[in-house]
Amino acid sequence: MKHNLILRVISKFMIPLIFLFALYVQFHGDFGPGGGFQAGVIFSAGIILYALVFGTELAQKIIPPRVLHFLASLGVLIYAGTGVASLILGGKYLEYGVLGSNQVAGQHLGILVIELGVGITVMSVMLIIFFTFAERGRPE
Amino acid sequence: MELIIGHYNYWLVIIIMMAGFYTVISQGNLIKKIAGLNVFQVSVFMLYISIGNVKDGAAPIIEPTVELYSNPLPHVLILTAIVVGVATTALGLALVVRIKEAYGTIEEDDIHNQDHSL
Repeated sequence: MKHNLILRVISKFMIPLIFLFALYVQFHGDFGPGGGFQAGVIFSAGIILYALVFGTELAQKIIPPRVLHFLASLGVLIYAGTGVASLILGGKYLEYGVLGSNQVAGQHLGILVIELGVGITVMSVMLIIFFTFAERGRPE
Repeated sequence: MELIIGHYNYWLVIIIMMAGFYTVISQGNLIKKIAGLNVFQVSVFMLYISIGNVKDGAAPIIEPTVELYSNPLPHVLILTAIVVGVATTALGLALVVRIKEAYGTIEEDDIHNQDHSL
């Protein structure tokens, strides 16, 4: 689809909006509908749209597979690390209340960080799945 | 009559579930089998989400004027189930890709014939 002008122009316009909406869903997740799962899928949808229109080689130049594998485990590390941090600060595992100066601030901070970890992992795993399938049929 | 009208979400779920189940057992094409499995899965999602609905309840977002909310617990449960569903679909499709490379076909009958002719 590299020579289709309309698709190229429209997707260049759409991709930043998709990223922006993903970030909104990510960071508004503790006040309204949203959260890490949804934001990660929306974010990866933006990159998958780029890969469909401009080709997987260019998309993999933006996010190389090595970075994706690193991000996939980084998200899990953030999630588990938040639990361990609340253990160190004297609470139970994943007890967000002890993270902040008071109970409410701690809950906010904990949920935000946890959802960030979930979002990073879901985004990178979705892209790993997509790139793995997309590369498969290509002649070497 | 009350049994049918009053529990229409259950009947809808049963119809969708059986449609997906029939697709899984009747189709020989492996991709269509996975699509049928996904339809089956969606019926379970709908069952849980429709049970979580509270009559006249608002979406579970805290507002000062709203007092009655839908039950958010099934939503969270099904959110996790959707993510698991994506993972199992990806695994199934990966197996289909591998079968296609080994046998050259994704029709179940052809695969069985090739196995028997060995």
